[in-house]
Amino acid sequence: MASVSIPDIWKIEFASFFTNFLPTTPPQISPVEEQEKYLHDALAIVKNEAFKMKRALDKNKLMDALKNASAMLAELRTSLLSPKSYYELYMAITDELRHLELHLVEEFQKGRKVSELYELVQYAGNIVPRLYLLITVGLVYIKTNSSLRRHLLKDLVEMCRGVQHPLRGLFLRNYLLQCTRNVLPDSPDTESDVPEGNVKDSIDFVLMNFAEMNKLWVRMQHQGHSRERQHREREREELRILVGTNLVRLSQLESVTLEKYQKLVLPGILEQVVSCRDAIAQEYLMECIIQVFPDEFHIQTLTPFLKSCAELEQGVNVKNIVISLMERLATFSQRSDSHSGEGGNILKDVQLFEVFSDQVSSIIANRQYLPPEDMVALQVALINLALKCYPDRIDYIDKVMLSSVEMFQRLGLEHLEYNSSVAKELQKLLKIPLDTYNDILVVLKLKHYAGLMQHLDYNGRKSLSIYILNNALENEIIIPTPDETEQALTLLTTLVTEKNENMVGEIDMEELAEEQCLLARFVHQLQSNVPDEQYLILTIAKKILVTGGASRIKYTLPPLIFQAYQLAYKYKATKEEKWDKKCTKIFQFCHQTITSLVKAELAELPLRLFLQGALAIDQIGFENHETVAYEFMSQAFSLYEDEISDSKAQLAAITLIVGTLEQLSCFSEENSDPLRTQCALAASKLLKKPDQCRGVATCSHLFWSGKSLASNREEAHDGKRVVECLKKGLRIAKQCMDVSVQVQLFVELLNHYIYFFEKGNEEVNIEILNQVIKKIKEELPNLESSDETEQITKHFNNTLEHIKTRLESPEENLIYRGIEI
Amino acid sequence: MSFFGFGQSAEIDIYLDGQDVRKTAEVKTEEGKKERLLLYYDGETVSGKVNVSLKKPGSKLEHQGIKIEFIGQIEMFYDRGNHHEFTSLVKELARPGDMIAHTSYPFEFSNVEKPFEVYTGSNVRLRYFLRVTIIRRLADIVKEVDIAVHTLCSYPEMNNSIKMEVGIEDCLHIEFEYNKSKYHLKDVIVGKIYFLLVRIKIKHMEIAIIKKETTGSGPNIFTESATIAKYEIMDGAPVRGESIPIRVFLAGYDLTPTMRDINKKFSVRYFLNLVLMDTEDRRYFKQQEITLWRKGDRLRKPNLQTTTIMAGTQNLENTATAYGQQTNGEPEIQSNNSSQVESDKPEKAPVKEDFLRSQSSDKLNNPIADPFDQAQTSPSDRSPENQMVKGEGNRENEVEKVQ
Repeated sequence: MASVSIPDIWKIEFASFFTNFLPTTPPQISPVEEQEKYLHDALAIVKNEAFKMKRALDKNKLMDALKNASAMLAELRTSLLSPKSYYELYMAITDELRHLELHLVEEFQKGRKVSELYELVQYAGNIVPRLYLLITVGLVYIKTNSSLRRHLLKDLVEMCRGVQHPLRGLFLRNYLLQCTRNVLPDSPDTESDVPEGNVKDSIDFVLMNFAEMNKLWVRMQHQGHSRERQHREREREELRILVGTNLVRLSQLESVTLEKYQKLVLPGILEQVVSCRDAIAQEYLMECIIQVFPDEFHIQTLTPFLKSCAELEQGVNVKNIVISLMERLATFSQRSDSHSGEGGNILKDVQLFEVFSDQVSSIIANRQYLPPEDMVALQVALINLALKCYPDRIDYIDKVMLSSVEMFQRLGLEHLEYNSSVAKELQKLLKIPLDTYNDILVVLKLKHYAGLMQHLDYNGRKSLSIYILNNALENEIIIPTPDETEQALTLLTTLVTEKNENMVGEIDMEELAEEQCLLARFVHQLQSNVPDEQYLILTIAKKILVTGGASRIKYTLPPLIFQAYQLAYKYKATKEEKWDKKCTKIFQFCHQTITSLVKAELAELPLRLFLQGALAIDQIGFENHETVAYEFMSQAFSLYEDEISDSKAQLAAITLIVGTLEQLSCFSEENSDPLRTQCALAASKLLKKPDQCRGVATCSHLFWSGKSLASNREEAHDGKRVVECLKKGLRIAKQCMDVSVQVQLFVELLNHYIYFFEKGNEEVNIEILNQVIKKIKEELPNLESSDETEQITKHFNNTLEHIKTRLESPEENLIYRGIEI
Repeated sequence: MSFFGFGQSAEIDIYLDGQDVRKTAEVKTEEGKKERLLLYYDGETVSGKVNVSLKKPGSKLEHQGIKIEFIGQIEMFYDRGNHHEFTSLVKELARPGDMIAHTSYPFEFSNVEKPFEVYTGSNVRLRYFLRVTIIRRLADIVKEVDIAVHTLCSYPEMNNSIKMEVGIEDCLHIEFEYNKSKYHLKDVIVGKIYFLLVRIKIKHMEIAIIKKETTGSGPNIFTESATIAKYEIMDGAPVRGESIPIRVFLAGYDLTPTMRDINKKFSVRYFLNLVLMDTEDRRYFKQQEITLWRKGDRLRKPNLQTTTIMAGTQNLENTATAYGQQTNGEPEIQSNNSSQVESDKPEKAPVKEDFLRSQSSDKLNNPIADPFDQAQTSPSDRSPENQMVKGEGNRENEVEKVQ
């Protein structure tokens, strides 16, 4: 093995070369536009020197090659370049240095050792080129003789202290880190003190390098003029990856076990992070730790990590750090749950939630300057964590809500303004349990949900209420108990009541209608399978809903009443004891409820509800139902008489009443007769003649198909009174001045006649039909042609067509004998 | 003689014993050239043969005697006439008589004292030589041969580290440490600088090795300074609490042992100059004398993990930890005045001194005082001699002005 020793004379020559080679000390600040030129110039020199270096290497002239390498490296002494350009230069140079390294490794492997090379390069007079060469040579030594590794690593990282200029120092140390990435000792530290070193040496090495790099990086912040701060911060952002690479390197060491991470790595990193007192660095590095190291480690080191979070600088977005950790661990726990029980066990051991919960509250308590929205965001993350890791622990969520409530109280924050960022975060927080469980019942179990909601302002609460409602509706959640009903409606109080502390501006009626429709739909979901419970639910719901005022109850009470009617049917079906008494009670309840609608100066709605009620009563037929039904009908009548003034509405109302009455069969003669007569009377008292005519015609059916106890619940078939009504209708029609209306009414009456004729009313005969047809035929041609006329003609023709078909059909042709078409 | 065309002439040849195997050393001549001479140490016997060959064989050479002298002398360049011999030994080789044929005379100066090392400086030279003289009536025939002498030392008994706290009130306080005060010529200077207070923007820091040659005595003292090496040890501005390692290999530089008051004629002393330069190009420096000595030749080390390189690292770490602890104990060190600091830690007893500061205006007077600038102004000028000569004058001025 040939060992080449370098004679002193070379050393002297080399040393004097460096002594002489002293490049310029350039001005500190350079105009941006000149960057390109500087870089270009520097790269040209690098190219030239690199060429010479490679040529010298080919000729095996190591000294010359080292001189060229040093001249090339001297370009890295510049202060003129921005981090970006410097990086480019650095890349170009380190690329060329690899040639030197490869050459040396090759030579060494051939056995041609240059034993004092490590000493030799240290004669370089300038520190930057000297250290780059030292690292390069050191690496070659390590690669060819691993027993030097431990000492050399220690020496290199220590010597690099000489470069205190942030940019140059960062890149130098980055070069160190790059070079050593494949040679760091990575064996467990069982055997003590081997010259190759073990993982502990690697940890020390990287941690030291990390600490120094971080110091340099932080120092950049404090250099130069304060007006260039933004510029400087941007530059620092560009460089941060250099610092972060240290952490990556640590994470790549396979022998870093959990124990080592806990005892050496993490404390080392955290100490540096906390003590550097620089917001940018802290935020980035904490994020780095989270991203770089495995979740298994994080879970076991939550407390120290989060404690450090609480100690970070004011400007650090602690929220983001903690949240990103929580999110990672939450995903991790889900992942490990699905894979094996192991992760789950860890979670149980660690009490993930408790730790986070404690630390979050201490962060919130300690960092007064933390904006409230960030505090809420932390709580949001905490809830997310709880939901993902412990989906069955609702108490965790409740705990978070409680601490949020306490937090708001401590901060004295009430009625967070809608659209403020705090309110938005809080909304987010409150929506999470809904979105996860999709079950309002679970939300109702949270004791502090409502309390927390109170911290929103009116609009906030309203929009959240709508969200809750929509959620409940979409998922078709049934509210099965009175208590829950009360809670739910109390929760939705902004939608339910009209008493609002500070309502601003006019209420948008359309919006209100939309909200109340949702609420009305929700009322349908207040259902219990136990009828008695259901009754209680309805009572409570009513009690609460009634507070909504006229504009709201018209939407919310009707579903309630319908629910009550259904309940009555249900009671009937159960046939349990006292069912009819309970039904009476239900209808009392309905009566009251409808009355409250009446009191809200509504007319048509309660009218219809009364009628519907009457129908229900009729069908259920509990004890005493006739009286109750009569009461309902009479209420409807009185509403018709007292409240409905619009003629169209009157006609519609009377038609409804007639229709309902026609269906009812529970009245004895003494009750049914006055009602029917009253209907006919009311119809004939309508204001407009056509209305009168139609009303009377409609009433005619009461006397034909109307049922009562007197007729033994059969149809009455009182043909005489039918004809009386229709005749009255004809009379009224004739009084109409407008011929077209008149004809129209005639056609309609003709239809009534035909109906009764076919039903077998003996009072209606062919002559009457012929008369009416004739009358129509006379008048029809006189009408001016218009859409209306056409319609009437069509109606008439259809009617005639009907008769014709009847005539042609073999069984029925007899009754129409003698008809004149 | 011979060109007078009559009389016999002779050629003298001095052959030293074992001259084929004896080690040689490089010695500078007066002209700055280097020549290799046979190397002797103190107390070594100088022996050999003197061959006298006659130019005209056949005719006799009449002489008054032949002698050989061993001379050690100091020559002052400004006083060429006077040589100061500090050693002069004479041996008679032949009594007066006639020489007929080539003759060979053995000689031996046994266990000669050679108290000083050969030296060639800018104003003074110390040399050893053998002189053979054939004494004749008219003109002697003389032959001189120079030899090199190195003085070896054993490890110094006392070799304390140099530790010092220096500063400029409220501006800059540093503590520096060199691991020894006496270094052999192939030694490594290991040390570190610890920054206690930094309120100036430092650009870089370097260590220079300065050689000072003093000649003459009384009113006629000449001092010649030269910067032998300039070594950048820090780039950029450190902050309080930083500690910067120093490691300088001496083997690569052209150094001699420290010489103190050699025969009351001259001295050669070496200084480490720690220089800090701030961004406004003001220089702050502190000189510390170190003693250089020559160690007996050792075996070349087979690899480098042994002392020279690695020992430095260990040492450095130890001191670094020591400083760490110390600052923890006394965070307010810069607010104390020096006497308090001393009484606080008597075991260390650092000497607190003021930094020397040369204003940039000084520098303007000496435009090439800074070699960095020099390289800028004349990048092609890269001969070491050139630079040192130029450097000498300037450095002298600068140092004396401040002191």
